[in-house]
Order: sequence, then C-alpha cells, then structure tokens
Amino acid sequence: MIELLELCGYDEQEIESELPRVEKAFNKLGITVDDIERGKQRLSKYYDVELKGVRKALRLILRELVDALLVRDEGMKNVIYGFMAPGFDLLSSALVTKSRDVFSIHHSWAFQIFVGCVFGKMVPILEEAERKWLKAGMVAHCANLKTLVGPLTLGLYPKPDLLVTTGLLCETSPKTVDLFHEFYDIPVWYVDACQDRTSGEYPEPSERVAISAAKSLKRLAERIQEVVGFEITDDMLLEVQDAKGKMGEAFGRIRDLIANSAPLPLSPAHENIWMCLNVLALSIDGITEATEAVDTLYEELQERVAKGLGVVEKEAPRVLATLPMGQTDPRLEHLACEVGIAIVATDRNLEVSIKEIPEDPYMRFGIGMQVGAMHVPPAMRIPLLIEGCKKLNIDGVLDRFHVGCRAVAGDALLIENAIKKELGIPVMLLEWENFDPRVYKHEEYKKRMEIFKMMMIANRHS
Amino acid sequence: MQEERLAIHLRERPYQLKEAKNDGIKIIGYFPGNYVPEELIYASGAIPLCLINGGDSQPVEIALSVVPQVICPFARAQVGERLLGKNPYYSIIGMLVAPITCQHLKKVAEVWEYNGDLEIFKLGIPHQHNNDFELEYFTDRLRALKDRLQVFTGTEITDEKLSEAIELYNKMRELLRKISLLRRVSPPLLSGLDFVKLNHASFYADPAFMVDFLDSVYHELKDKQQVTKADTPRILLIGPNIGYGDYKIPELVEEAGGDIVIEEICEGIRYYWNQIESKGDLLESLARGYLVDRVPCAFMRYSTGKRLDFALKLIKDCGVSGVIWYELMCCETYDAESYFFSQKMGERNIPMLILESDYSTANTGQLKTRIEAFIEILSGVME
Repeated sequence: MIELLELCGYDEQEIESELPRVEKAFNKLGITVDDIERGKQRLSKYYDVELKGVRKALRLILRELVDALLVRDEGMKNVIYGFMAPGFDLLSSALVTKSRDVFSIHHSWAFQIFVGCVFGKMVPILEEAERKWLKAGMVAHCANLKTLVGPLTLGLYPKPDLLVTTGLLCETSPKTVDLFHEFYDIPVWYVDACQDRTSGEYPEPSERVAISAAKSLKRLAERIQEVVGFEITDDMLLEVQDAKGKMGEAFGRIRDLIANSAPLPLSPAHENIWMCLNVLALSIDGITEATEAVDTLYEELQERVAKGLGVVEKEAPRVLATLPMGQTDPRLEHLACEVGIAIVATDRNLEVSIKEIPEDPYMRFGIGMQVGAMHVPPAMRIPLLIEGCKKLNIDGVLDRFHVGCRAVAGDALLIENAIKKELGIPVMLLEWENFDPRVYKHEEYKKRMEIFKMMMIANRHS
Repeated sequence: MQEERLAIHLRERPYQLKEAKNDGIKIIGYFPGNYVPEELIYASGAIPLCLINGGDSQPVEIALSVVPQVICPFARAQVGERLLGKNPYYSIIGMLVAPITCQHLKKVAEVWEYNGDLEIFKLGIPHQHNNDFELEYFTDRLRALKDRLQVFTGTEITDEKLSEAIELYNKMRELLRKISLLRRVSPPLLSGLDFVKLNHASFYADPAFMVDFLDSVYHELKDKQQVTKADTPRILLIGPNIGYGDYKIPELVEEAGGDIVIEEICEGIRYYWNQIESKGDLLESLARGYLVDRVPCAFMRYSTGKRLDFALKLIKDCGVSGVIWYELMCCETYDAESYFFSQKMGERNIPMLILESDYSTANTGQLKTRIEAFIEILSGVME
C-alpha cells in the first residue's frame, strides 16, 4: 500500500497520517492485497509515474476519492453529488472553498480512474448496474451511468443530500437520476438547456441558449443554498472561474506542447487525469494545487521534448482522436503508443473561439457549454474537426464513438465520410464504450491499429 | 364503408399534396412526439404532415450508411425514408419542424441539417417546466416558429386564423378521445389496431376531412353491436413509439385473443386527452397545452412517477388486465423506465410483458410465442 501511495505522489508524512483513511476507503471498495499489487503494476505500465506532475495529479484525485468514500463516516453534514454535470463543478468548488461542513463532489471520474484504470476492477460495478435498470446488450446503455448506479446501489458511496445532473447532451443521465429519486428517495436536481441552435446561428454561441442555461444553473444554486444554508455569491463563483481559468491555461500549454512535439512526449492515457482534475470540484486551494501539478508536468515534458525523448518514434503518424480516452481503461491509448501511433489531440481540444467572455458567472457557463466540438451538431463539429486536422498536420483520424452516447455516436459515420472526402486521410472507425473495459479486444485492436498505421504512412508518401 | 372512404382519401392524398404544392401551397413536415403545434403550421396556410413512418426494415437498414445502429429504428427510419426518396410524404415537404426531444430524433434533425437540402427549424423543447422560464422559453420558440412560418409561406398568422386552427384540431382531439374511449366498454367497440390506424391517418390526411370522417366513425361506432367475446384480456400498450406501418405487435395481440384497449405512446399517437385554449394569448396556450398540461414523455425530467400514476389511472379506468411494454431497440430512456414499471406493476400484481423490436421480421416467431403465452396467462388470471 505504501508503495502505491508513493506512486500516487504521497510523501512520507502524508502516508503516515493518511494510511488508515486510505485503507478504510479501499476496504469499502473491496480492494485486496492482490489488487494493490496489480494497481502498482498498472500505474507503472500505463502512466508515467516517474514524472512528478503525474504523481501530484494522481494524489489529488485519490485524496478526493478517499474523502468521498468516507464522507459520512467522518460526520459530514451536507453531501452533494454531481454526475455528468458541467456547471455543477463551478458551484461545487465554491461550496467546498467556503465551508468545511459541505462535501460536494463530481466524483465519478476519480472512481473510474482508480477502480477502473488503476485497479482494473470496474466490471463488477458495471454488472451491478446491469442488474438494475441499465441492462447489458443491444440497448447500449451508457456505461458512464453504470459507474454511478453500481457504486450507489452497492452502498460504496453514501447516499447524498442532493444528486445533480444535466440534460445538456443526453436524457439518459436525468432518467437514471429520476430513478434514483423514485427507488431510493434521493433528492435530485437537473440543469437544462435546449439544444436547438440551427445552422444559421453557428458558429457563435446562442445567447438564447446561454441565458436559459444560466437561469437553470442559477436555480440549482438556489436549491443548493437551501441544502447548505449559506449563499453562493457571484464573487465566489468568479473566484473559482478565475482559478479554473488559470488551470485551463496550464492544461492548454500541455495540450499545445503535446500536439506540436515530435516525438509525442506523453501517452494519451494521461488525458483522463487532466479531465478529472478539471471536473472534480476541488476547492480553490485544490485547484491551485492541480495547476501546480500541471505546471510541474509541463516543465518535465519540456525537458523531454528538448532531449528529443518520447513515447513513440519521431516519425510516428499523427492522429486526432474523437472523444476522450477510455475512462475506465487506459489500454487502448497505451496500445496506440505500442503500435507506434501518436494520438496528438482529441476533439475535446477543438473549440469555437468566444469573442467576449461575459462578466456574469452563470452566463460564462451558458456560453462556455456551447463551444466544445462535442457540444455542437455535425454541421459545426465536422468543420471544427477538419480545421483541427489541417492545423495539426494530422495523418489520420481515430473516429471512435461511444455507443452509449447517441449525441456523439450519431456523428461518427458523417465524420468518417467527411474527413475522407475533404482531407483524403485514413479514418479508423471504432465502435466502443469508453467507460467499459469489457469492450477492449487486444488482438483485434492491435491488428486494426497496425493496418491504420500502414495506411497513414502509405498516404503520407503518396 | 367508412374504411373505404378513408382509404380513398389516403390513396389520393399524395396527389392532392402534389397539386397543392404546384399551386404554391407549402407543405411542412414535422416529427412526432406531440410537441409541435400543428395549429401554427395550419394557420400559416401550409399543410402540416407528421412524418411517422416506421415498421419497415428497408429504410432502417439504408440509414446505417449515415448513422450507427445505436440510433433507434424509428429515428433511422426517418433518415432512411429521406435517403430512399420513395415515400411521397418525405419528398414533398419544403421545410421540417424538428422538436428537440430525445437524442435519437435530435440526431435525425442534425443529419438532415448537415445534408443541407431542406429548411429546418429546430424547436427547442424544455425537458422540464418546474421553473417559470422554461414555459417562457417554449412560448418564445413558438413565436420564432410563427415568424419563420410567416416568412416561409408569405402568409400572416393572425390570431383569428390561429384560433380557428386550434378549434379544428381540438375537434380532432376530442373525437379521437371519444373514439378511443369506446374501447372502455367490454368488449371494446373497436380494436386497438383500428384505433392506432385511425390515429395515424390523422397525421397524413387533410385535417378538415379527418374531423368529418372521425365524426362519422364515432357516430357509427357508438351504436355498434358488440361483436367480440367479453372475457378477452384487456391490454394497456405503453412505449416510446408506434410508427405508421409498425403494426406487428397489435396484430399479434389480436391474433392471440387480446384487446389493446388503450395506449400510452410517446411518438406516433396523437395526444388527445387535453384541449388547447383557443382564446387569450394563443401562443402561450399552445405552449402550455403542448408542454405543461399533459403527461410527460419519458425523456422529461421528474417524469417517471407521473407516468406511472397516469398508467395506473388508465389501468383502472379502462379495466386493464395486463400491460405490454413495447420499446424500440436502443431506446435507453424507455428501457431504463421499463425496469421501474415492471417493479411497480409487479408490486400491484399487474402482469407486464416487455417487448423490443428493431423492425426486422426475424423475431416475429419469438414475439408471437411470447405474446401468446402472456395472453394465456392473463386469460388464466381472469378465470
């Protein structure tokens, strides 16, 4: 256990003070000695834990997960969970900054990283959800939801005082949250906005949609105030947004460095960690720590780049991947590096630029939620991808689609056709479920990636 | 006699529409789910057509060249019909009003938008209405739709025209409700399949014709002698969708000796329980009628409990002996909800059968066996 904590950036003093809590939390998760051993091996294999920045980030994530698992045992009065809830992290960070009596977290990502990516123990969690209302099979329920339903119904997480989700990109998360309310009497809340921008409104974010989203988030703030008993002021939110803005800039520097360096200095498996830090709902001190971790990593990567070191060879084909990485399993991204493919960016990096950032923190959210490639329809998403490929000198697109998410899966074939037609570069279409490690088929993926690589090299020389 | 009259009208309808189009009348399609007020389209002088074809595997398969299999068969059918170009209703429209309801139908609208060969108006449907601003949002979007329709048709939508349109559709809703409730008696005065077909016809037929026709049907049926046995199992059919042509389940139920006496279907059945206020602020009354004063679809927030309550009311009012839950493959919200309903029905000893379809004929035998077994169980319970 001590070695594992060291790999996760805990120092000697912290290990001494935190070990009983971590053990207690891991016991709740059913983590055994064998699991710890496997966790150490996987951490060393899939993540660059020799980099201090990676260890620092893992430490923050593990710390939050342990807190989440022990929150009731340690007498916390108000517990609020967010799930698939952009905007919630903003309010949540403000809450935990203001009060130590409130535990508010957007924690699935931390759970997925440790239980899934590190310990490789996600399957029993998913199966538990499948015994409830998210059955396995053709229906292709989103496995992200299963990582909420499994732990909550197994009692791994304590029952919250409020469970929040959004319907910004799907109705399945709200349905699951509604069922939590019906079955377990958990108070729930939804943040919503209509996804009704029409082509004439692109690429500018719609003020109409932004206002509606901002009002909806404001109502959530009012509801949370009822739970916690104190006001969430605009100043608190702006302070969080400023801190997150700095963290975002730090992420941006790393993204730019990765996207523009050859050889690729870091495996794409790590992107999961940055995304987790971004949504975890850390306090402002936590956000500052996260920013320091990212800055540390940036310096370490700069050093790698300067020395010409990387995780693939310098001439490796440059790939843009759609969707984020496997969120409970790093093997696909690791395999890409093994095969010699450099995934230099994902379409999460691609955004419509905003002309003016609103002063109102709620409107900032309302505008911000409309600019990402995954938050726009194909009429806008595809031009963003094409532009991104050109800008990053991409050799091929890994067009992976998360079957559980109709919003993004529905674009996959259009993307494939458009990229081939417009750019003439190879596209590898991959139907997968980035929250379900059971979909990973090593031999099949390896063969397909090898062929994909050959096609990209041939295309480069043609 | 009545059936023949409707059949002739529907047979001639594509030609009527073609003539109307040649005469400069706009034809405007919209997707089902009962969130698009047809009244607005009708009041603009255009002809509204609800695009609800389903049940045929060919368009569903064709659509796989554009969208993956996880998009539900009904949504894929809409993509496929447009690609095939054989169905006159899908080819003749000059504009589409796409309600943004579930991700599946939203994706269809986005694919059509991406193809760029049709004017699209995406009608934002707030997925909750607990807060005042959501109703305001929907009212505002209806106002935007009204403006767009006026530009598209070149016709001003006056309050007078809109009020007349609401009254016409109120009559249609009222007649469908009265006809539907003729199934409340035992044995029902018309079959579930006949009612679904009547309801479907109302989406493609001329509304004025349909009102007249439904009126005749109602008067003929209410005096009709009861012909079937009174002790057949009475079924509530719940599900996301019944497309025009997706009649396999109602047919199999009837063949097995069951009667579908009521439906609670999100798409493909015109919602007929409530009327729209035809006086005052008409856009607000449309918004309220279509968004608030109704049983929510499964995609709406806080809907599960309300939907269960409504289903239980239908079960009581219509003397239902069992529930058939008919969902389309890959419809996640209804699939998740089916678990809840089966638990709650089980607690009340109400038998429930969950069926899935992807419109293929491959599973017809299996469906038949399961439905027959279910009807047999219900018959046994009734004895």
